[in-house]
Amino acid sequence: MKLIEENTLSPELPDFFQEFTKPTKANAGIPDVSRRDFFKISGIAGGGLVIGMAIGNSPKAKAQGSELSTLSPYVQIQTNGRVNLFSKNPECGQGIKTGLPLIIAEELDCAWEDVDVVQADIDATRYGVQFAGGSLSTPMNWMAMRQAGATARAMILTAASQQLDIPVSELSTSNTKVQHAASGREWGYGEFAELAATIPVPDPSSLTLKSFDQFKLLGRRFTGVDNYDIVQGKPLFGADTQMEGMLYATYTKSAQIGGRARSFNEDHIKAMPGVVDAFIIDEVGNPKGFNTATGDMFSGVAIVAESTWAAIKAKRELEIDWDLSNAETATWDDLVDQARAIQHSDGEPLMMLAGGPGASIPTDNPASKGDAEAVMESADQVLSAFYEYPYVSHAQLEPETCTALYENGSIEIWAPAQIPQGGESSAAALLGVPQEEAAERVVLHQTRIGGGFGRKLANDFVSEVTAIAQRMEGIPIKLQWTREDDMSGDFFRPGGFHSYKAALDGQGNLVAWQDHFMTSTMNDVTPMTSADLNASVFPMDVIDNVKLTQTMFKNAIPTGPMRAPASNAFAFTFQGFMHELAVASGKSHVEFLMDTLGEPGLANPENPGSMHTGRAANVISEVARISGYEQDDNEAGRAKGLSFYFCHSGYVAQVADVSVSANKEVKVHKVWAVADFGFIHNLSGAENQMEGGIIDGISQLFNSKITFENGIIQQQNFHQYPLLRMPQTPELEIAFLQPEEFSPTGAGEPSMPPVLAAVTNAIYNATGERIRKLPLYELGYKLV
Amino acid sequence: MATLNINGQTMDIGEIDPSTPLLWVLRDELGLVGTKYGCGIAQCGACTVHLDGAPVRSCQIPVGNLSEQQITTIEGLAVADGTLTPVQEAWIEIDVPQCGYCQAGQIMSATALLNTNSNPSDAEIDAAMSGNICRCATYTRIRQAIKNAAAKMNGTAFYNAAEGGELA
Repeated sequence: MKLIEENTLSPELPDFFQEFTKPTKANAGIPDVSRRDFFKISGIAGGGLVIGMAIGNSPKAKAQGSELSTLSPYVQIQTNGRVNLFSKNPECGQGIKTGLPLIIAEELDCAWEDVDVVQADIDATRYGVQFAGGSLSTPMNWMAMRQAGATARAMILTAASQQLDIPVSELSTSNTKVQHAASGREWGYGEFAELAATIPVPDPSSLTLKSFDQFKLLGRRFTGVDNYDIVQGKPLFGADTQMEGMLYATYTKSAQIGGRARSFNEDHIKAMPGVVDAFIIDEVGNPKGFNTATGDMFSGVAIVAESTWAAIKAKRELEIDWDLSNAETATWDDLVDQARAIQHSDGEPLMMLAGGPGASIPTDNPASKGDAEAVMESADQVLSAFYEYPYVSHAQLEPETCTALYENGSIEIWAPAQIPQGGESSAAALLGVPQEEAAERVVLHQTRIGGGFGRKLANDFVSEVTAIAQRMEGIPIKLQWTREDDMSGDFFRPGGFHSYKAALDGQGNLVAWQDHFMTSTMNDVTPMTSADLNASVFPMDVIDNVKLTQTMFKNAIPTGPMRAPASNAFAFTFQGFMHELAVASGKSHVEFLMDTLGEPGLANPENPGSMHTGRAANVISEVARISGYEQDDNEAGRAKGLSFYFCHSGYVAQVADVSVSANKEVKVHKVWAVADFGFIHNLSGAENQMEGGIIDGISQLFNSKITFENGIIQQQNFHQYPLLRMPQTPELEIAFLQPEEFSPTGAGEPSMPPVLAAVTNAIYNATGERIRKLPLYELGYKLV
Repeated sequence: MATLNINGQTMDIGEIDPSTPLLWVLRDELGLVGTKYGCGIAQCGACTVHLDGAPVRSCQIPVGNLSEQQITTIEGLAVADGTLTPVQEAWIEIDVPQCGYCQAGQIMSATALLNTNSNPSDAEIDAAMSGNICRCATYTRIRQAIKNAAAKMNGTAFYNAAEGGELA
């Protein structure tokens, strides 16, 4: 089987990633997947996820007197044989700090027990782009990490050959040891580390990488490398940064988004116990727009105090005079009314977007194709439906926090940032540090991130602490947002509306699709970040006649990417409507989906990043099989529902088994998930992402809604924005199809979207009530 | 000068605003940053510590209300030689954490449960853990880790796939 070494990045990569993610070479053509031949099933963790795993990285102090040799930016080896592997990207719970070093260790032929993982510093010259987003960390680094491991292994073998005077061809490696089969002798890597560090780096073309069946580590379950520290409460997170003489800061912005602080009760605040200073910071740039690297930030009042509590107490007594002349005035209910009023009309033709970071603009290319209107005229059945979903907050459990020390024109920052290099750029922009001096004068250390979900792709909190630290020169400052700051100051998942129409022919086949998409814009030209629709969403990617129009409502409620941007809402609307069509078609749901997918192949043969219908069909049929979805055992009040979605190069199908009581109490008994993310290199990590994604989706489905009135966010904390808790957690069963010809793609995002429609489709199957609006609590449903 | 009994030690907290929540005394004054701030209103459980063995939300306890109580934080669970508790071991063995930010609070709630109920049912686990939010949603693994920890403490078998099956 031909090995495809690099996955093609999704061509729909959000523009804010594009500067970090130049697409690599395209796949050399993906072979058709005949339904059952080329995949194997692994990792079915049934019955409540009883799993165990190899435990690596048991903590060991660096041995006294052991010398450290650096073979590459990724590999150091001590003379005592212990190996330091550097993890380049930020860890926010996606497991990358374990996952990337595992790949290096595999090709380096290390025993995992011999490895210590070190979080790499930010350094584009050594590590290239370093970020956590787009489910891209694994696919973008898969080959580079394998090469890093294989390179270091080759250097060790060369050094061993020279040192032992034995030809390389007679030496082999295993478990952090060099072996000589002829004599039966073996030596630890540490014995050759010093010489290996002087060996010229071999040409990548000279390296032989392992075939997948030679992997000893990859494919198994590994516990997270920081878990030993996490369970003991060791300082790992951004919030845990402590420095001698550190002061604590809060930053208070206008509740009405975009207000500018004119004055505040300065004398009172400064007289409060523990308060060291308090001052206004002016607005920079356009902070309502999602930004990762420009230093844009809202105006507000900074309070610097001797403790976090003193700063929070003073914050509560702030009386600020805001200039609201440029503040936001949008009200969610008004958007809903506007959308409902135009649901039966078309919008403007939707154009494909193009352009660089932060500047995507509509092209002259319409997203529509074929002639949907003509097909609908002559179709056997035409269905229409109006779907709506609200704004949603990330609610990562670590509120935004960041620590910085500014001295003599230079700044050092400790940040839980998903795009730390953007944090450096933001600080440099704010301080006016020219690019050629930025490497010297702006240094950012990445900390573990207490949850990202996309919120910490924005670096507004890095900008804020930079501005405060500059004012407090010479004193380390830790900025701590309150939960209320976080929830009202988010870059929200945007709400939106879809007015669908679709046509079935006489055989119940889907032949045309129409969507009038209603979304928000700040500039009347481009939708807000993560508020755009394109034609690659299933099923629009596989049918010939699609008409897409759009209406944009003018407002600047800040929006940004949240786990599976756009897909986290589209999966509900598109796959809910697909189930409506399946019911109308007279076919079974699975049959309707299979017929829509058609023959195995790329949805767009010219785009290797587009959905492969064979891989899609495989996850759907497999989840139907393991869940018994087609057994027709639905009964009044209890039924299963299915949904499929493709995004971030990942294929996921999920089935939910749901009971609905007479008073609309909903119990999700179990969710089955089958995914194809290519090869799974840390099974526990991939299962973790799937488990989290499913429960995240169910939580959003029932309870998540952010509203705004006159530009003021109405939810402040978890009592107004409840998250799912343990008693509501369903049983989960997860399986991965691993077609051997595909290298791994990311699991963090595609794991989440389908479950929303799986549950709403199940509710329909159990009760006959079709759900076209989120969240479910507003429809009287309660998750129990 | 005020003192607190924390993790078996008497700790001096100096002159401090008595309204200061225990959470911020731990984090800012004593450097015990394992206890986390998540919401400040006792909704998320990230700040859970033990007060005389009972799980409490440290964001809601003014330090001025404390005197002789024994306070245990996440830093006080493992013994000084680094030996972890069965709960901590179980957490590692089945790879519970994702981001990990809530896990100190989860472990404190789980530990308090097992200290009073060595063999909790699913319903008892759900009830004891329902005050702790995990935004990454590691709930199924937390539930299993509690069962594994209980089995370790009781000397009964639990399933460990890495070892190929039942362990004594």
